[in-house]
Amino acid sequence: MAFANLDFFKRDRTRQLFLIWFFLAPSLIIFTLYRIIPLCWNGILSFQFWSPFGESKFAGLHHYEEMFFFDEVFWQVLGNTVLLMASAPIGIALALLIAILVDTRIRGRNVYRTIVFMSYPVMTVAVGIIWQWLYNEKVGLINYVLISLGIIEKGIPFLGHFGLALPCVILASIWQVIGFYMIILLTGLQNIEPALYEVAAVDGAGSWMRFWKITLPLLKPLLFLCFVIGIINSFTSFDLIFVMTQGGPAHATDLLITRIYTVAFKLSKFDYAAAMTVANFLFFLGLTLLANKLSGGEAGAVETER
Amino acid sequence: MRQYPRWPIHLILLVVSALMLIPFVWVLKTSLSGENIFSYPPSLLPRDPHLFFYVDVWYTIPFFRYLVNSAVVSAIVVAANIVFNSMAGYALTRNFPAKRAMILLFLSCMMIPFQVTIIPAYLITKKMALLNSYLGMALPVCSTIICIFVFKASFEAIPKSLIDAARIDGLPEWRIVLRILLPLSKSAIATNVILAFIWSWNNFLWPLVIIRDQEMQTLPLGLSRFLTVVEDTTGALYAFCIMVLLPGLILFLLAQKEFIAGLTTGAAKG
Repeated sequence: MAFANLDFFKRDRTRQLFLIWFFLAPSLIIFTLYRIIPLCWNGILSFQFWSPFGESKFAGLHHYEEMFFFDEVFWQVLGNTVLLMASAPIGIALALLIAILVDTRIRGRNVYRTIVFMSYPVMTVAVGIIWQWLYNEKVGLINYVLISLGIIEKGIPFLGHFGLALPCVILASIWQVIGFYMIILLTGLQNIEPALYEVAAVDGAGSWMRFWKITLPLLKPLLFLCFVIGIINSFTSFDLIFVMTQGGPAHATDLLITRIYTVAFKLSKFDYAAAMTVANFLFFLGLTLLANKLSGGEAGAVETER
Repeated sequence: MRQYPRWPIHLILLVVSALMLIPFVWVLKTSLSGENIFSYPPSLLPRDPHLFFYVDVWYTIPFFRYLVNSAVVSAIVVAANIVFNSMAGYALTRNFPAKRAMILLFLSCMMIPFQVTIIPAYLITKKMALLNSYLGMALPVCSTIICIFVFKASFEAIPKSLIDAARIDGLPEWRIVLRILLPLSKSAIATNVILAFIWSWNNFLWPLVIIRDQEMQTLPLGLSRFLTVVEDTTGALYAFCIMVLLPGLILFLLAQKEFIAGLTTGAAKG
């Protein structure tokens, strides 16, 4: 009798296991097909001479050598990507300020929240077009305002200017993502016990003190989550660049991802682009692990992908 | 706590709101009137609004075709995401060997942005003969890891006794998911619908890479193409922008409460 029971239990267990794997299968297949295999394939491709038409041949470190020592554009786009990344804390700081303000009990805070978040669900291509037009030399709103205020005499071609183009694109990208940072930080603020502040206030801590000693430390994991999202954004903001500047003028706004696209799909140098992708990925991975470590290992558990 | 005067807060937030809204207002205005800031004195509201540019966009480019393509791809992506993510999310709430390894695998997949896989992904899609197809556009985003974890967190918040009772009643597993867990996870579903829709609706790079046929182009591709053929100061371009960004905005405004609730449980327990 006992054996029969065990047998029954075993069969049931097998069936459940089968079901669990059946439930996991679709997602697993998709991630294997479009994440894991491509990642490995990229690695292999970067050590080969390969084109869509010819035979593949072993290339050793040829592409990496070219990339690091002979390709000035690579260093330029890497620098641009790092700059975009370095701008993330500015956006996060602004978002934190807004989040704190809309967390106070003022009238219409829900309206403010909605307005600030509204730019996030908007199609990035459209955002690029809107901002390209705001920056327009002749009819752009920004030039119009600057001229009306008497700050400048005639329009500045913001996106055509070698030094100004990248900061302008960065500003547009902060504009788009700031609402997303704000929502994340707001959820963190709402999870902080109000009692903590009351106790601190009783102990005579000023509001500045309370911010440094309570709010910031408790928000740390979410601040790092935002930073990780910022890192991901700097590696993946393709749409904005493609629409606003196409990477120009003279690669001033070219990022790693836009450069990879151009090299692979416009110049058909898939192998070289694969090597750049590997460098891009390792750089990204290193940074994320570093951020994760600094935040006490919590950013990885909740980060978002885009 | 001491009461602070409210007006500085309102002032800052009003300025921020204005900065966030002005681009939208200006685009809407131009799309309705075509008047640029050349018009003096400049005004926030269009004088003499009309819908000419919207009609213009509808007829001069295959807007309807783009719209259908975008809608089909988004429908596939949203449906697949709900089904696949809730299935995987449920599986991860159960105990099975290799569970930790699976979670670790999913989390490390999250560290691979889709953009860095674009070249092999293109070659794989080509091998499967899915270039230029709806399925090819949809497949890579048919399951998203963050949403799997949102579902997992939401399922775990449901009392275990409820599930055990159903199991004792002899309900098969898939019906437990369908009849008990999903109806109790509305905010997770809303979060997933919104994220999946926004991501697929706005997706640009992937369709750009795999779509060669003009007949198969989606709205973002059509929009960026349109930008290269028209003068970037005409009202039609901005009418196109408005028509493209309205669906995402409306969906978000309708479901933002559930969306934020779902995101919060996901982030807090993820």
